[in-house]
Amino acid sequence: MGKYDVINTRARRLDAPDKATGRAKYVDDICLPGMLFGAMLQSPLPHAEILNIDTSAAKKLPGVKSVVTAEDAGMVKYGVSPARYDETVFCKDKVHYIGDEVAAVAAIDLDTALEAVSLIKVDYEELPAVFTVDEAVAEGAPLIHEDFPRNICGEVHNEFGDVEKAFKECDLIRTDTFKNKRQDAGFLEPNGCIADFDPLGRLTLYSSTQVPHYVQRIVAMVLGLPIGKVRVIKPCIGGGFGPKAGTTPMELIACLLSMKTGKPVKMNYTREQVFLFGRARHQFVHTMTTGVKKDGTLMALKNKCYLEGGAYTSFGIATVYYAGSLLTGPYKLRNMKYDGYRIYTNKPTCGAQRGHGSVISRAAWEQQLDCVAEDLGMDPLEFRLKNVMETGDTTINDLYTSSLGMKECLEAVKTGSTWKEKRGKLPKGKGIGLAGGFFVSGAGYPIYRSDTPHSTVTIKLSDDGGNARVYTASAEIGQGSDTTFAMIAAETLGIPLSDVAVSSGDTDFGVDLGAYSSRQTLMTGHATKRAAENVKAQVLAVLSEQLDIPAEEMDIKKGLIEFRNGNPDFEGLRTRYLKEHRGWTDHPGGDDLTFREAARVAFLEKGPIVGSGAYKPGDLGGKYKGAAVGTSPAYSCSAAVVEVGVDMETGKVTVDNMTDAHDCGFAINRTSVEAQLQGSLSMGLGETLFEEVKFDNKGGILNADFGEYKIPTALDMAPVDTIIVESDEPNGPYGAKEVGEGAILPTIPAILNAVYDAIGVRIWELPLTPERVYMAIKKKKEEQKD
Amino acid sequence: MLLPKFEYHEPKTVQEACRIVGELGEKAKVLSGGTDLLVNMKKKLIQPEHVVSLSKIEDLKGIFRENGQVKIGACATAGEIAGSEVIKDTLADVAEAASVLGSPLIRNLATIAGNMTSARPAADLPPSLMAYGAKAKLVKASGERSVDLNDFFTGVGKTVMTPDEILTEIAVEIPQEPYGDHYIKLGVRQALEISLVNVAALILLDGPEGPIKEARIVLGSVAPTPIRALSAETVLAGQVPSDVLFERAGEAAANDSKPIDDFRGSAEYRRDMVGVLTKRALKTALDRATSR
Ligand SMILES: Cc1cc2nc3c(=O)[nH]c(=O)nc-3n(C[C@H](O)[C@H](O)[C@H](O)COP(=O)(O)OP(=O)(O)OC[C@H]3O[C@@H](n4cnc5c(N)ncnc54)[C@H](O)[C@@H]3O)c2cc1C
Repeated sequence: MGKYDVINTRARRLDAPDKATGRAKYVDDICLPGMLFGAMLQSPLPHAEILNIDTSAAKKLPGVKSVVTAEDAGMVKYGVSPARYDETVFCKDKVHYIGDEVAAVAAIDLDTALEAVSLIKVDYEELPAVFTVDEAVAEGAPLIHEDFPRNICGEVHNEFGDVEKAFKECDLIRTDTFKNKRQDAGFLEPNGCIADFDPLGRLTLYSSTQVPHYVQRIVAMVLGLPIGKVRVIKPCIGGGFGPKAGTTPMELIACLLSMKTGKPVKMNYTREQVFLFGRARHQFVHTMTTGVKKDGTLMALKNKCYLEGGAYTSFGIATVYYAGSLLTGPYKLRNMKYDGYRIYTNKPTCGAQRGHGSVISRAAWEQQLDCVAEDLGMDPLEFRLKNVMETGDTTINDLYTSSLGMKECLEAVKTGSTWKEKRGKLPKGKGIGLAGGFFVSGAGYPIYRSDTPHSTVTIKLSDDGGNARVYTASAEIGQGSDTTFAMIAAETLGIPLSDVAVSSGDTDFGVDLGAYSSRQTLMTGHATKRAAENVKAQVLAVLSEQLDIPAEEMDIKKGLIEFRNGNPDFEGLRTRYLKEHRGWTDHPGGDDLTFREAARVAFLEKGPIVGSGAYKPGDLGGKYKGAAVGTSPAYSCSAAVVEVGVDMETGKVTVDNMTDAHDCGFAINRTSVEAQLQGSLSMGLGETLFEEVKFDNKGGILNADFGEYKIPTALDMAPVDTIIVESDEPNGPYGAKEVGEGAILPTIPAILNAVYDAIGVRIWELPLTPERVYMAIKKKKEEQKD
Repeated sequence: MLLPKFEYHEPKTVQEACRIVGELGEKAKVLSGGTDLLVNMKKKLIQPEHVVSLSKIEDLKGIFRENGQVKIGACATAGEIAGSEVIKDTLADVAEAASVLGSPLIRNLATIAGNMTSARPAADLPPSLMAYGAKAKLVKASGERSVDLNDFFTGVGKTVMTPDEILTEIAVEIPQEPYGDHYIKLGVRQALEISLVNVAALILLDGPEGPIKEARIVLGSVAPTPIRALSAETVLAGQVPSDVLFERAGEAAANDSKPIDDFRGSAEYRRDMVGVLTKRALKTALDRATSR
């Protein structure tokens, strides 16, 4: 055992027993007295003027308690980034996509609510609609939002260094265009919520969200309530992956209906409504030009990107920035030009999904880097190693890497996959490919401009001293963050993990920006560590007084007090504890003073022992426009090697093996780190091979269900070898940084590169369905014939 | 998604079931595993006033071999069929087809009768059963009939059955040795797939060294109903089996297919895959025939 007792182990997840036995409570398990059920009316048309809404028949239906439209909700604009608030609770004058909210009902049961919804009559006048980037930016195209000419929702133009000059010094330059398809995050639990507006004017919202804090602010802003009167509670969550990192119209509607009726109102998305709400990965089209010198020195990248974004902005402004800014690592890139455009269309809105904005640019570029290496006659791994960044390097766009184990990641997958023995030696139809990744460990700034701490944590000891409870507003969404914070608290306090409990996901417990941008382990982790240090100091201070020993000469380990100069006589303290516990059978005994005794005495002397901690990153990043996006207190990196088999006659790709290394700084919980790697591999595999939200020619989704939207099954998952690389991040608690999102970055391009190795044809469009792969093989065969 | 309201019936005998559906006609729907019916009812694609469950009728369960026939009860599930020794011994590709239907959860519910009656172009069980010339027993209050599955499907979701009939059994004549079969389903992922193309092949040999006495090839997902690749069968009949022959049969089968473009795949890809899968299915079928 190393220098730690709790962290860096494989501690069991705190939530595992409840989740395994069905005791865990998700939103839909909650039932409040007098609860009503809500349902929404959504637009059946992609773009239309609303001429009239007639709710009279719905209102008359027995059992209906409230019917609301924009008249009731008002027209306060909201969204994710204050710079682009472009949503309202309901549409008033026009609808922007199939699924836009028009009205809603609360009734005594769901049947009645749904029936009432079907009785609402809306007269529309259909408007011309745009569904693709090309249609949307065309001269004279209909505008989805009047203030945005050519439907350009946001654009970014950055140049670092001098790309054209650098190209002149290059020996090899190549240009490729790559595109993916819209994603669905595929979480199991459709979004749900219960809003409860009580007679004292306080609103409590239970919601399956990744970001209680932001939801609290948006609800208060839109419905005109003081923030302090709104409480958001996140129960257990069945996955999020990004789309649950913003406020849903359903959350606002449930709150409105509860305020109207004075009753709790429950609402759930159906699976189809999850797809209509969208907010998962955009469709990106990247055109990249990369220049290198003969010796493999990476000189310049010109990257132009169009994002098809749907009807609203959501996270889109950050997305379009991320699609450029995160390519500057983990390889030394000396010059980079980026032009990004996010385009509105009459389709569901895209947003953030695991690896926000950077996944497709990474896939495109890592495949292009493989092409470049091939053109140069270099091994793709050696080519990457030649350009790899190291700890302390700053990227051309001012991202400072206080730790970076990229070289270690590359070496680890090289050894782990036996790359040298396999590369170039596999038979036709078998391939091996490699790729790397780079990601933030928490966004450097909140979504709204603010000096707020990003995380606050409070730890309270029970008055008997036997338990410490961590209060945090952070969001456990299945990734294991509660366990991580319990481990950090236990380690810092010096007590066993079994003596720490966590209460999380409640805005009443503090400020926490939530589960997005892979920020919680680093940021909430810091706040937890600081709170625990504070509590520990309070206990030791009392002990110091009682025993007349300087606090610096004492420590707490494994639940026992360690005295640097040997145990003093603490009989007085022990007796005091024992006297209060006549009849108990678990008296602290032994030669050492226990934490429980010390904490009890501290309580008797000082009252409740409560300590808090907060964390906020320092000033980060450069001074150019948009410099904030991409900043982070730390950066993770990763590498993957994937082996595939391709059926040359059907085009079907089977992933045979995956070796994945990730630099997470320091693993608080080794099992959780590996689980994130495994999850990323499975998600990346699905995104590469199967997943695509498909549309008809009227903006309607063809596959808004898990029968036709294909996420990987257990049978599709390959054997994986996960390798944890620890670089000891100085800005992380105990050296820890992220693993949640960064791990997905190399997956897609590693598969792409492996497929090329297997079939000898490059494919520049996702997903690699059997048909796409087969057609590529067929086309090449036909070309060779000619 | 909520189920619409309906009257629920649980007859204990086939007769009683026939009487109920005979009286209710179009107003009733028969319920077996519910993996099609309940999904469609939740989607409000159909809203029957009455649902007649077959789950309490013991006579509709079980798989037997008797008098040179295999009889599969209407309510036999895909899981039971996939695991049945009788079927694995006699109609290997029917077991194969059942084992790749949906997922374990679906296979525990989905019945053979439901798979026939729902008449999906991509359904997994019809092709191999059609290759064997299986017959469906259809019973109504006033009598019964037996219909060759090759004449059973009339369109997407359509069969020759009338609303007052219940499918009670699928019967298959076990061919004379040596014969071999194979079923291949091509989808995007490894489970929970709707086939892009599915092919069943059956080869009957004239003696162990054979030429091919007769071959039957059935294609799924490339027409409104599963179809026989008749010109491919002609290519094979009477010939000495070889890779070249199977390649030619594959090409003929591709020409026999009438796929369409839809969001799952293009007609071109499907047609090409009919060729590949037919060739492969024939190869394995031959291996099985010669190793019997
Ligand atoms: C997630 C999922 C995956 C699936 N995957 C596959 C797949 O891979 N391959 C595949 O082929 N299918 C698949 N299906 C479709 C379905 O499971 C099968 O078609 C199944 O065999 C239907 O059988 P059932 O017993 O559930 O039928 P039910 O839903 O009970 O009935 C289907 C239809 O048949 C009628 N019917 C049923 N029994 C009788 C009878 N004895 N007499 C008269 N009429 C009757 C019903 O009235 C109804 O119209 C899938 C379905 C789901 C939900």
